Amino acid sequence: MKVKLKIFRYDPENDKKPHYDKFVVEAEPTDRILDLLEWIKDYQDGTISYRRSCAHGVCGSDAMRINGVNRLACKVLVKDVGTKVTVQPILGLPIEKDLIVDMEPFFDSYKSVMPYFVGGEENPQKEQLQSPEDRERFDDTTKCILCAACTTSCPSFWANGEYVGPAAMVNAHRFIFDSRDQAAAERLKVLNDQYGVYRCHTIFNCTDACPREIQVTQAIGDLKKAIATSRLD
Amino acid sequence: MALDRRVGFFEGLKYKGGGPMLAWILHRISGLGMIVFISLHVVASFFTQEMGSDWAISINIVYESVIFQLFIVFSVLYHGINGIRIIILDLWPRMLRYQKEMTWLQWLVVIPIYGLTIYIMIQRMITGE
Ligand code: HEM
Ligand code: FES
Repeated sequence: MKVKLKIFRYDPENDKKPHYDKFVVEAEPTDRILDLLEWIKDYQDGTISYRRSCAHGVCGSDAMRINGVNRLACKVLVKDVGTKVTVQPILGLPIEKDLIVDMEPFFDSYKSVMPYFVGGEENPQKEQLQSPEDRERFDDTTKCILCAACTTSCPSFWANGEYVGPAAMVNAHRFIFDSRDQAAAERLKVLNDQYGVYRCHTIFNCTDACPREIQVTQAIGDLKKAIATSRLD
Repeated sequence: MALDRRVGFFEGLKYKGGGPMLAWILHRISGLGMIVFISLHVVASFFTQEMGSDWAISINIVYESVIFQLFIVFSVLYHGINGIRIIILDLWPRMLRYQKEMTWLQWLVVIPIYGLTIYIMIQRMITGE
């Protein structure tokens, strides 16, 4: 089958404004959109720019808007989206070239919630054990690959880039609800702020966009509740 | 130079967010709609009272028009019911997993009440009560 692609183009050195280029590619229904981009880059237009690394939905490099929603190009098949495909960069981050955005602001928000384990003792002599139930509490939010599909699907983030956004909150959730971690209060303080949980209006775009099927809105809801009640149960 | 991060209003609207995004847009439109309605009412009352001016009456004509009334009745009803859904989701995050069912339930409440209300409104308009 023939697939028609319309791809967002912007070259910072030569273009004042972005435009769209059209390509026609021969494809199988089971080809991934990333395969089509690779084909175009190899055989039709080598200047087209996008990020990808693993090509298997693990590294989180290739989040983009495919037919108007955030998806990983390596996880969307031609048969999922049909033969007319529009590819655009994710929204709300500065566009560096074509489909490549500047992820720095996204990672700044990520860092602001202390996305690392803070243990109690300085030099623990044995493992800190955890019950399967306690582990289960944050299992969903361990799955994040930091592709930014959720954060850049959120209208609150589009409106204000200071909003820490769903991805940072998912990662805060990962540690806040870990029974061994000691820094929940500090993280909740960051989120109990005008740029924190209160900008979430339960729009669910993040949950829909997540390629790992993390229940993002649910994680944010847990955080809202934890802040409102000062309890983690 | 990189293109700045700003997302245009229509660019944002074109994102295919689905039901909950639509619910949020309607919530905001209805919230602002109520503000417009109440503001017009206050301004019109003020000018009628203080100056008895004709254009105060013409403001009345705007918000007493059938279209505006249909809009404002929908706004009050939708905003209230949807607001209750949001409050429930915020207070009991456990309910977030039933968000789809809650949205159906919400329309099940909104549509009959709205239908009945416009039925009564239009009936009165015709009979001129
Ligand atoms: C039954 C009464 C009402 C309920 C239950 C209610 C509930 C809510 C809730 C829960 C929100 C937050 C929405 C969110 O987080 O996304 C909200 C926002 C808002 N409300 Fe209401 N509200 C009511 C009446 C009103 C009235 C009378 C007005 C105007 C005169 C109004 C104007 C607004 C506006 C402008 C917003 C901001 C919209 C937004 O954040 O998207 N509301 N309302
Ligand atoms: S290329 Fe690694 S997630 Fe798609």
